[in-house]
Amino acid sequence: MFYIQIADITVGIDNRYEYVYHLCKNYIITEPSACDMLIRVTEEEIQAEQKIAEIQVSAAYAEGVCVYRAICKQLPVRFQSYLMHCAVIEYEGKGYAFAAKSGTGKSTHIALWQKRFGEAVHIVNGDKPIMRFIGDQLYAYGTPWCGKEGFNTNTSVPLHALCFLERSPTNSIRKIGADEAVMKIFHQILSPEDIATVDALFPLLDRTLRQIPCYVLGCNISEEAAEVAYSGMNQ
Amino acid sequence: MKIKQGFVVREIAGECVVVALGEASKIFNGIIKLNETGKIIWEQLSLGSDKDTVVEKILSEYEVDRATVEADFDRFVETLQGANILE
Repeated sequence: MFYIQIADITVGIDNRYEYVYHLCKNYIITEPSACDMLIRVTEEEIQAEQKIAEIQVSAAYAEGVCVYRAICKQLPVRFQSYLMHCAVIEYEGKGYAFAAKSGTGKSTHIALWQKRFGEAVHIVNGDKPIMRFIGDQLYAYGTPWCGKEGFNTNTSVPLHALCFLERSPTNSIRKIGADEAVMKIFHQILSPEDIATVDALFPLLDRTLRQIPCYVLGCNISEEAAEVAYSGMNQ
Repeated sequence: MKIKQGFVVREIAGECVVVALGEASKIFNGIIKLNETGKIIWEQLSLGSDKDTVVEKILSEYEVDRATVEADFDRFVETLQGANILE
């Protein structure tokens, strides 16, 4: 049993395997007097997760996946927040989220930002940050769950823009409206499983789409892609 | 011809969307975006209305010709049938 804090939420994790403890090491806190949620995954849930995994995974790894899903399912209703499958970087105090189908090249693209703009670019999370409104501002929070590269920082950043990546021979960016963005954003979140979650999550997505400008970036793997993305999102 | 149980219609940033919950999520996993007429057709099909009722409803609200509405209706229903959403 250990405790972590992510997105300003305290979580107790009653783990069966060591893996999840090591995964969470940068987020561990001393035992709080009260914690917001307590997660315990059963052996059956772990086995079920191993069965649906696209590649063969260990029980320890599957436990980690189950723990995060159990956390994320509670986010909309209890903490006005949600998981978004995307990579988030911080540059000049602003958060940029990049979403794409798996394998499109999110990690490659954020590496291009680092190449182009240097050490001032920080990776908040490479794959599964938590989005949470604090007052009127949407923040992206780092979490231990961050994709195979392990890019994550225990920090948060106000989100400046949301950018959907598509591979293209040349680099170009265009702003999109809610009609296009609503479909795209939906593919990057955990599908709600009950009415309570729908009624908590959809207003959060509504606020997100009204406040955060959304773009589609057609990009290749040259440094120019980062340049085009940056200028496009700062006009 | 009726929409199966478990689909919920909501609005996000001015866009009308449908998602499936519970059993329905096993047959349809994703999101459907409805335009103005799509919204009317969906609502009416949820109530179990027949084609004539839906077409009349749209004709009473929009200035369009019957042939267009009927074609739209047929195409919409075909899409829903293809996605196994109608019972």
